[in-house]
Amino acid sequence: MATSLSYYLREMARGEWLRNFLFVKTAPYETPPHFRDYPRLTGKECTHCLACMMICPTPGAIEVLKEDEGWNPVIYPGHCIRCGLCVEACPEGVLMSGRILESQFFENTGYTWTFHLTVDSTLCMRCGNCSVACPVNKEEDPQLAATGTGENDEVIMRVKGGELRILHEEKCTGCKTCEEACPNSAIRVARVIEAIHTAEEGG
Amino acid sequence: MSFLQSIKNTVRSKSIHVSYVNVGSCNGCDIEVLAMLAPRYDIEQYGIYVHNNPREADVLLVTGAFTPQWEDKLKSIWDKIPEPKVAIAIGNCPISGCVFNRRGAYVDPPVAKHIPIAAEVPGCPPRPTEILNAVLSLAPLVFKDYEEKQS
Repeated sequence: MATSLSYYLREMARGEWLRNFLFVKTAPYETPPHFRDYPRLTGKECTHCLACMMICPTPGAIEVLKEDEGWNPVIYPGHCIRCGLCVEACPEGVLMSGRILESQFFENTGYTWTFHLTVDSTLCMRCGNCSVACPVNKEEDPQLAATGTGENDEVIMRVKGGELRILHEEKCTGCKTCEEACPNSAIRVARVIEAIHTAEEGG
Repeated sequence: MSFLQSIKNTVRSKSIHVSYVNVGSCNGCDIEVLAMLAPRYDIEQYGIYVHNNPREADVLLVTGAFTPQWEDKLKSIWDKIPEPKVAIAIGNCPISGCVFNRRGAYVDPPVAKHIPIAAEVPGCPPRPTEILNAVLSLAPLVFKDYEEKQS
């Protein structure tokens, strides 16, 4: 008891121990370079495909805005959760964060996505707002009337036979304009995203 | 600067008492606040102490997207903290509501609507170093020469 007590007293009386005890601080912990921080621009050209906005899980975290001549994604730090999905989803490699791009290149991983449209026929009033608002429909059939009726069967959806029919689900780009245009929340767009791993081509 | 003020400045720069309150977060940010306490980041070496009692706190760390139950309670916690005081929003939730801020969700972000927020640390969750840097860089701005700034 006495020996251990005197040991401690002697140890603590040493100048070096006292100095360490009072003044030494651990070195500030640096953020490692592989940390998946907010996505940054790599300088490659954005094609405005909006895959980043489509895959982003958080409301209002990423927006593709027009700057001078080109489009560029903009990250909002108060919203972004740094999941890195936009970096992975971008087909052009416009964004970078941590070592996502490198690991994606070495492991040949990527994403494919399709969109699944569902219409609740008990809520749907057959107003055709969705078919008129849809930007893909506008390209396929500019003549699509205000009631969503028409003769062109190349459109994604239109009112046909007194009912809203989904004709070409595979053409959907997932912009959700139809959801916003629907007064009754009858149409829903679901993303079906699959992670893919290819042996030959780079992700 | 008066002698008394310089003593207060020295004391306040070495002893910042922190209280944290979770107003409906997923607990991720609270875990990062706890990681600051752990030996790796060790906030006590900078003189920051977590007491979690608003009556002896200088800094209030707010996490979470503000659920309706906190409507009157967060204000009363804020009123209990003696001056000089400062509130820091930790994480995305008190800033924007993050993933919880969707149609029909029972959250009311940002927290700045309810109590004055001096600094925001974005991230979901933010790194412990980011929280630490926010506390350390904000404290001298608020606590240094507080009495002289008041008069």
